[in-house]
Amino acid sequence: MNERYARQSFLGPRSEEIFKHCRACIIGLGGGGSHIVQQLAHVGIGNFLIFDADHVEDSNLNRLVGATQADVISKTPKTVVATRLIQGINPKAQIVARLEKWQESAALLRDADVIFGCVDSFSERQQIEATARRYLIPYIDIGMDVHDLGGQFAISGQVILSMPGELCMKCMGFLREDLLAHEAANYGAAGSKPQVIWPNGVLASLAVGIFVPLMTPWHRNHRRVWYLEYDGNSQTVATSNRLAHLAGTVCNHFSSLEDLGDPFWKPSNLKVA
Amino acid sequence: MRVVFKVVDRLLERVRVDLARPHEFAAERVGFFVCKTASLVPQGVVILAHDYRPLEDDDYLDDATVGAMMGPAAIRKALECALNNEIGMFHIHMHDHGGYPRFSRTDARESAKFVPDFWNVRPEMPHGALVVSRDSLYGMCWYPGKSEPIEISEFVVIGSPMVFVRNGQ
Repeated sequence: MNERYARQSFLGPRSEEIFKHCRACIIGLGGGGSHIVQQLAHVGIGNFLIFDADHVEDSNLNRLVGATQADVISKTPKTVVATRLIQGINPKAQIVARLEKWQESAALLRDADVIFGCVDSFSERQQIEATARRYLIPYIDIGMDVHDLGGQFAISGQVILSMPGELCMKCMGFLREDLLAHEAANYGAAGSKPQVIWPNGVLASLAVGIFVPLMTPWHRNHRRVWYLEYDGNSQTVATSNRLAHLAGTVCNHFSSLEDLGDPFWKPSNLKVA
Repeated sequence: MRVVFKVVDRLLERVRVDLARPHEFAAERVGFFVCKTASLVPQGVVILAHDYRPLEDDDYLDDATVGAMMGPAAIRKALECALNNEIGMFHIHMHDHGGYPRFSRTDARESAKFVPDFWNVRPEMPHGALVVSRDSLYGMCWYPGKSEPIEISEFVVIGSPMVFVRNGQ
């Protein structure tokens, strides 16, 4: 085993090789995604597919891991910051960095072993999950929010593992029609959501903590569904009560033949610019 | 060309349980994965297992020269399934041992006879044949437009934990 990974050898004799060949996709390289990218690089992930259409702005520096004042001045793409971060830790990592929305090159996602979603909107989460289910890819979603309680604020967040064949985010009650409709009605009027670095770090760490045993478990208590709720005021994380109520429930949202594979399949090579 | 085969572990377990059932006279059981497909960038294909169709007991022929011989009704039902749905059909049987399985000469010969027949009803889809062991998989894919089958280079079993079989490892 490579000396670098000696301290994580308890993950198994094949863990280094598994991580080296693993293809991780991270959508959104802001406060949450930059933490995840950094941790995956440290763990030894060998192949990255990263998406973000934005450039570094001054308002990002309160939470964007790896970004500097110089990146603000030069308007560095967030994909460049993430690439620099990964290569600084693991120069051998293969990185496909796309300075665009993931939907522009959605076909690239098909090859991912896992997708991390670090996006703001419910509708985008819904799209990513549907894509992940279509190509049998585990999807790990993270998100945080700050609620104005009138004179004080509450920080909350969630980490969800949406596993093909298991409960989806709709089953879990996280994606609801009323929330999607409300979001669609307010499209363009949301403004900037409050974001701070420490909840992002907690949520990203939980996400990586779900991902690693999925690839190379160090214990036998494997869980197929995760829905963790973070309370940033009490500094606690708990499994959502909703999962207990859903025990034995089978997801019917992605069970048909039409929900799987490329709906426009043709037996020819696919070209992406 | 890179060919990846993905299956959810619960479905694969269902297949293993079915294939392990004894038959009145056949030495082994066989069945079909019903699969969808997608292209990989820049070149390749991912086969996505959706369901499993076991052979019915009466659809085996009593033939002591092979482990399991499919009768005409079995072939007809599998062809009908492909005709009525936009799917690829992947034949599967089991070698009851641990480790990386391979086709026997009989497996290779018989697969080459019947798998291309699926192109008569579903010419645009890849079809194939697989063998599953207690903990691994092996298989060949007949890809549209290619006369020779392609070895499946990677199996991904979706579960917790995930299982990756890449180039026999």
